[in-house]
Amino acid sequence: MFDIARISSSLSTWWWLILCLMFLLYIGLDGADLGAGIFALFSKDEEERGAIMASMAGFWDGNETWLVVAGGVLFGAFPSVYGSAFNYLMIPLMFALWGVISRAVAFEFHIHAIGSKRFWGWMFALGSLLAPFGAGVALGAVLQGFPMKHGIAAENVAGAHALAFDMVPHYSGTALAFLTPFSIWTGFGAVIAASLAGGLYLCARFVPGDAIHERAKKWTSAFSLLALGGIVITLIWSYAIFPWAAAKWTGPDWWVWLIWFVVILGFAYKSMMAHANQRDFVALLWGEGVVALMWFAMWATMFPYIVPNTWTIQAAANPADSLAVFTLFMTGFVPVMIMYNWYQIWVFRGRYTKKAMYAGH
Amino acid sequence: MLLENTMPVLLSRLDFAWITSMHILWTPLTIGMSWLLFVLEMAWLKTGDERWYKLNRFFEKIFIINFGAGVATGVTMEMAFGILYGPFSQAVGPFFGNILGFETITAFMYEAGFIGLMVFGWGKVSKGMHAFATFNVGLSSTLSAMWILVANSWMQSPNGVVLKNGLFQVTNWWNAILNENFTWGFPHMWVATVELALFIFAAVSAWFVLKNRNADLFTKLLKPTLLALLIVTPIQIFIGDTLGRDVATTQPTSLAAMEGHYHTYLPNGQVNTGWHLIAFPNAKNDGNSFAITIPHVLSLLETHTWNGKVTGLDSFPAKDRPDVWVPFYSFRAMVAIGFFLFFVALWGNWLRLRGQFNAQALRKHPWFLRSLVFSGFLPYLAIWCGWWTREIGRQPWVVYNLMRTYQGVSHMSVGQEIFWFAGYIVFELVVWSGAWYFFSRVIAKGVDDIAPSDTLFHHPDAGEADAGQAGGGFAKPTFAKPTMDKSL
Repeated sequence: MFDIARISSSLSTWWWLILCLMFLLYIGLDGADLGAGIFALFSKDEEERGAIMASMAGFWDGNETWLVVAGGVLFGAFPSVYGSAFNYLMIPLMFALWGVISRAVAFEFHIHAIGSKRFWGWMFALGSLLAPFGAGVALGAVLQGFPMKHGIAAENVAGAHALAFDMVPHYSGTALAFLTPFSIWTGFGAVIAASLAGGLYLCARFVPGDAIHERAKKWTSAFSLLALGGIVITLIWSYAIFPWAAAKWTGPDWWVWLIWFVVILGFAYKSMMAHANQRDFVALLWGEGVVALMWFAMWATMFPYIVPNTWTIQAAANPADSLAVFTLFMTGFVPVMIMYNWYQIWVFRGRYTKKAMYAGH
Repeated sequence: MLLENTMPVLLSRLDFAWITSMHILWTPLTIGMSWLLFVLEMAWLKTGDERWYKLNRFFEKIFIINFGAGVATGVTMEMAFGILYGPFSQAVGPFFGNILGFETITAFMYEAGFIGLMVFGWGKVSKGMHAFATFNVGLSSTLSAMWILVANSWMQSPNGVVLKNGLFQVTNWWNAILNENFTWGFPHMWVATVELALFIFAAVSAWFVLKNRNADLFTKLLKPTLLALLIVTPIQIFIGDTLGRDVATTQPTSLAAMEGHYHTYLPNGQVNTGWHLIAFPNAKNDGNSFAITIPHVLSLLETHTWNGKVTGLDSFPAKDRPDVWVPFYSFRAMVAIGFFLFFVALWGNWLRLRGQFNAQALRKHPWFLRSLVFSGFLPYLAIWCGWWTREIGRQPWVVYNLMRTYQGVSHMSVGQEIFWFAGYIVFELVVWSGAWYFFSRVIAKGVDDIAPSDTLFHHPDAGEADAGQAGGGFAKPTFAKPTMDKSL
């Protein structure tokens, strides 16, 4: 009566969707925080860096934790991808994590520091640059896929066997397999996208006329254009090197992708207009809309792969009963998580001046 | 043994050991102290005694620095299973991966969703809401410890699974989650977090009394802290002993390594009941080259009988034996610290019984106060030693008796592993030294500049103009208004 294969395939697709959502929440929310940190690289005084850090003090941790949740969902639903892709991405993830570490401690230390304030201010800003760059490189590298082999993964273990575990293929490439012109470009692309989100966020967070708001306004206008250029370059480059993407975009459903692209341009236009009219929060929301639409388009292009040409959703998913337990106990928490995070952000909402923000710091 | 511990395998163990050892320096204090801060906050709300508020806000500064360091090192942990132990992550995915997923969703994120309110929400949300946030941070961090201990205990006693298609597929969820090692392993870890947090309270308080700064305030905190420790420290010794006997049945190789117990029988055929105070394992790992031995103690400890048989390492093939040096000595260090901390708790309460618990009388016992300050560091060492015993005692297995460590190691070159290690030495040491430097700064600054609680809902430095704009600034969230005006 129960078709296990079918249940398994629906559940794994369900978790693929949740995974997509968790990553989106991460890049949408923390992207803005990271971008504000990149903005702080060019701050002239520690007061400005302090004010920027204080502006997100109440919720940066929640925003960043979406990455951890995405990692947890990946491990819980698609352990085969988790165990091979992270092995492949060791170096870019390491850099991204070092960025995350620098930022996280800088938040707590900067407040108490006296002599070392500048140092922690820089750790915050550099960490904010390193994290999206590493993550962007990792994303580009995933799109390229990676080589796998059965058998023992560890090097130089002569004569050892792991017959029992040979069924699952492990990552078998080198440490630098991730490194290509395209993955470096996506690293820069992520930095540009984060910078734009950070600019939009800072405009919405600081009172018009304030020094930070003034600078963020110019920053945002410049990065909107860079980001548009970046989107076009990434699309053309992807079309050229990824046959699976090209086949989908110019296949029988080409018009869906075309409409989608026009809608994205529409969102971007709305965001730029709202920004020009100083409706800063609205501009931020339209901007986040662009991120969401692009993200969904990327995942739809990859379907039914979770890592193109390497892992399909089906092959990578946990056995049906594990997925069922995961679904039963965890799906309900997803809206709950979103709700209390939203509440926390809501409590700390509102516009500040640089001075008031720094004083409350 | 030698075949398996090639350079890449050894380095991958070292890489993981380093990041976990540096992570466990933070999380126990977060878990234990969040509950203590909740108790302080409730004491303030119930009695209206401003001193509890002051102490709460003071220790909260230490708490948040510690929390930041815990997050910084913890995000790495979430990724490190896949990076350093890819094949392990794949094989254990159906159970271990699920549990880690549970942890991020029901604990890690839960905590992150309330930590901002707890630390930066003072005066922005009502007092009741704030206490609720603190409670949630306590509960979520405890849940986090529980899930992590479920996952790790399962690696020690992997119940409820069957190996099929290269994956550990779950046959019985309850058996897998409530595995034998978890039953006492989780309480042992959780009580350790409370014990650590209580000793941090005690150590900082003792320092202030010793320096004669706010001595009355901190003496007030010392009383309940030491009373709680009188209960907690012996409980921890009892739980530890029970866990030890659990390990004896579920993981005999680990227990034998902890005790340096090589021979089940003596050369004359009698059961070997000797417990070693000191032992030097030989290079072949098949006996001790030197040992100070007390007969019968081992049987008494592990079987609670005079002549009970305890399985020695010689009952297992050489390739299944763990290294003995680390488990043997780190286990002894942990036990010694446990008893010393119990003794300190007894000492303190004895002084209290003799009426010595006011700031002036206490300062006449400087050695007691110094011992308390010293005791603030010891739980860290005990936690380290406990985990080293646990993880090295399980070797050469990553999942006991089912998956050997080398089978779980990722595809990495030695250079890659050294790069990871070197990088994390730098980053973790910066985190550690930074956090401890700022702990000392916070403590040196003391409690005197903490504003009284009745200023919480007034923000003199935020002008009306700022506050009014866009419903933000220091203005109250509109939905919270009804509760904001009340004192509670």
